[in-house]
Amino acid sequence: MAYTGKVLRVNLNTGSAKTEELNKQWADEYLGGKGLAIKYLYEELQPGVDPWSEDNKLILMTGPLTGTIAPNSGKLAVAAKSPATGTILDCSIGGHFAPQLKYAGYDAVIIEGKAKMPVYLYIEDDKVELRSAEALWGQGAHETEHTIAESLGDVVTLAIGQAGENLLPIACISSELYRQAGRGGIGSVMGSKNLKAISVRGTGGLDAPDIRKVSTALNKIKKEDTMDDENMWAYSDGTPMIVELSQEAGILPTRNFQDGSFEGYKKIDSEAVKGVLKAKKACFACPLACGNYVETGKTMVEGPEYETIALCSSNCGIDDLEALIEFNRLCDDYCLDTISAGSTVAFAMELTEKGIHDFGIRFGDVEKFLQMPGLMSRREGVGADLADGVAAVAEKYGGEDFAMHVKKLEIPGYEPRGSFGMGLAYGTADRGACHLRAWPPPLEAFGDMDPFTSEGKAEMVVEMQDDNAVKFSAIFCDFWALSTERMAEVLSLFIGREITADELTEIGERVYNLSRLFNEREGFDRKDDYLPKRIYNDKLLSGKTEGKLMPLEEYEKMLSEYYKIRGWDEDGKITEAKKKELGL
Amino acid sequence: MKALIFHAEKCVGCKLCHLACSAQNEQVFNPTLARLVITSCFDRDGLVTEGRVCDLCQKCVEACPVDAITVKNGRLSFSEELCTDCSLCVDICPNDVIVDKDRGIGVCVQCRTCANWCPTEALTFEEVSK
Repeated sequence: MAYTGKVLRVNLNTGSAKTEELNKQWADEYLGGKGLAIKYLYEELQPGVDPWSEDNKLILMTGPLTGTIAPNSGKLAVAAKSPATGTILDCSIGGHFAPQLKYAGYDAVIIEGKAKMPVYLYIEDDKVELRSAEALWGQGAHETEHTIAESLGDVVTLAIGQAGENLLPIACISSELYRQAGRGGIGSVMGSKNLKAISVRGTGGLDAPDIRKVSTALNKIKKEDTMDDENMWAYSDGTPMIVELSQEAGILPTRNFQDGSFEGYKKIDSEAVKGVLKAKKACFACPLACGNYVETGKTMVEGPEYETIALCSSNCGIDDLEALIEFNRLCDDYCLDTISAGSTVAFAMELTEKGIHDFGIRFGDVEKFLQMPGLMSRREGVGADLADGVAAVAEKYGGEDFAMHVKKLEIPGYEPRGSFGMGLAYGTADRGACHLRAWPPPLEAFGDMDPFTSEGKAEMVVEMQDDNAVKFSAIFCDFWALSTERMAEVLSLFIGREITADELTEIGERVYNLSRLFNEREGFDRKDDYLPKRIYNDKLLSGKTEGKLMPLEEYEKMLSEYYKIRGWDEDGKITEAKKKELGL
Repeated sequence: MKALIFHAEKCVGCKLCHLACSAQNEQVFNPTLARLVITSCFDRDGLVTEGRVCDLCQKCVEACPVDAITVKNGRLSFSEELCTDCSLCVDICPNDVIVDKDRGIGVCVQCRTCANWCPTEALTFEEVSK
């Protein structure tokens, strides 16, 4: 069965839990994962709700393939209104939590209200308990997971660290120590609810029609498609492979996006990471195993991923791999999003060097760099000023022109001045600057398209956003570069009817428009879809992109074209005709 | 005879073997019903990857009082009709990989589905002396 048909609704105000039926019509229209979570939030949240109030809701959503043998189907969507941006927020976390939730009998968990005292939620099949987390409060996510495992055995846990407890809008959720629901302050939504962790164990199974036949068909697809040369970079290198590509293309963020190439990149690239690699690690049902578990003798982490390398290493002028690994481990434990944390530290470094405000930290200062995760997460000393992310620092101390965020979400690891499509993707991503809604660099900066033009970019970004929206709803991991035809083929094995690629594209478009509608209801429009002024005004300093910028008029052109293709008006609002067409 | 061998250094902990086994032998996707146990988890000291598989030691065959578990053509064979649910085999299995079900047991029948699914050749079938 593709769906268990059950949603667990937990109310932290009353400490009660009840099971209700999954809304089947919504599941047809939005599939699961990202799309279905956003649909529930759109219908259930009041406009203008304070993301840290008890009226915000945290949703854990699986998909129709979760728990089955379909390759790369093991991820979980975690969604809420974002404390960082005020937009819709959905994160995608790997590991083994999602299938356990499904085996416990639930498609989703909706968490409402706020506990009076710190608690953690324990789900084992029909048994649902809120347990005291007072002894865990103040601990990192890692100690929290270890302690819960000692008490409950082989459960899988989502946990927050001190950053989530202390309501940092850059706080993430960790699972199995090194997997994260990373962005938009999702960890602080748990913190605001006094919810330290969620642990699950499921003992039930999932039926499927002709299960042996289906499994045989999927094994063939796994071998011929999932594990083909296009995707096996994940196993051979993992995301650190992108370091060299970005360096060559001149889009590796360096010293707070002042430059697009980093002289020390060879110390932090894939070969360097392989030098300390101990083992490869996979999420549930994934044959690609992108995870690199590394040990240096002094520290260890499953990582560092490309985004961490880009934002915390080159962007902070740090070329010390061991320091980067330790910074990564600290962020995972305190539960800081490494993209936002790295970017905020880099911003503080530039503000200090420019003499705008002295945060006592400069580019390349490893010792101070390693103090930052703890200081920020505990809101101590200089960390108190940096804890709320780049936009908040700029508001208080200045430097807005080079505060690298969109809608208050810090920009990931691809320089828009050398990848114009990436710029448009950041501007129009539903949760602020995000590289997962559309990721143009493989086609432009690393590929054959001219990266320095707006030509053809709007169409490309729209297509990628819709494809990814349905992919994250199905749910497939984005590291399997599968076609919508293949998605349709795999889904049709489970959902009890033939679904076509065209239907999936429409679902993707519906999901993306619904997220835009959510944001529109919160007051977002064209004015919020712009990039930091540095992108339009400051020329990059070296490498392939030396002297490049993205003129504002080029960006305006792309944006208007994008709205037109989307069926939105010049102000970026969804037209009535488009709403009608998509059934919104 | 050929038996299953687990190579921990190659395992990535994806659980596809568990899913493949339960689908093939129990017609359900349920890792807890797999006739092997592979775990890859972090403890305080780092990553620990462990596996328990049927190595064809045949202690279950010797323990079964009603010959419900036998060896046929180099593979284990189980007869639900003969089984009396005494669980002696479950108790004696040194690797703890016999699944105790409401009715009968699940013993690895060397079907090789798990190895066929393993993406990293962490599970192989190799000749064992017996």
